[in-house]
Amino acid sequence: MPALSHDLVWNVVTGKFSGRTEVPQAPRFQPGDTVYVRNINPPHHTRSPRYIRGRTGTVISQRGAFPLPDSVVLGTGPNAQHVYSVLFTFRELWGGDADPRDTLVIELWEEYLDPAVRSRSSWWLRMLLARR
Amino acid sequence: MNGIHDLGGMHGLGQIEREANEPVFHNDWERKALAISNLAMAAGVYNVDEIRHAIERIPPLEYLATSYYEHWVLGFEDLFLQKGIYTEQEYEARLSEFRSRR
Repeated sequence: MPALSHDLVWNVVTGKFSGRTEVPQAPRFQPGDTVYVRNINPPHHTRSPRYIRGRTGTVISQRGAFPLPDSVVLGTGPNAQHVYSVLFTFRELWGGDADPRDTLVIELWEEYLDPAVRSRSSWWLRMLLARR
Repeated sequence: MNGIHDLGGMHGLGQIEREANEPVFHNDWERKALAISNLAMAAGVYNVDEIRHAIERIPPLEYLATSYYEHWVLGFEDLFLQKGIYTEQEYEARLSEFRSRR
């Protein structure tokens, strides 16, 4: 176990420590993009909660790159990637009875997301194929 | 992990109690629990993702019956064992030492 330095302890307990890092790849999404949250059900740790999976939201900002918690806990490396603040309407999450003014913003790693357009078109493709 | 921690949207758990002028800690042991966890992270014993996952692994009935800082304690106790900071025997021995002091 490494010796604890005053600076290290100070940064951790005052919340100054950050896992923020740099990645070579450009962000896949821009503010304003509509994104679809992948439906995943991993038995391990993830920061994509159940109530947003399969839902569509809007990227409101890029937050920089951070290690993917799923990979960190699995011990498969940091797998750092871009993180976005994504806004969901309560109508999208909880249905028509929700107050149309209510929204939720949640930070999501790139791997949790797909472009919503592609998801929609594949939905339409599935519909078309099912009708044939 | 689709565990009991992921309870967004669930009904029947009662209202969120809002306490006026809520203190950071309600008991002195909570202050110590937070200090132990922060120091363990500073020392690199575990990171924030690992402690979150350890808390998610608390059995559901126990999770619902324990408080916020009890979650931290249950979480890091599990990680300390897993990381070999102490053994099950050492943990039990220390517990009986505390119990005998009462």
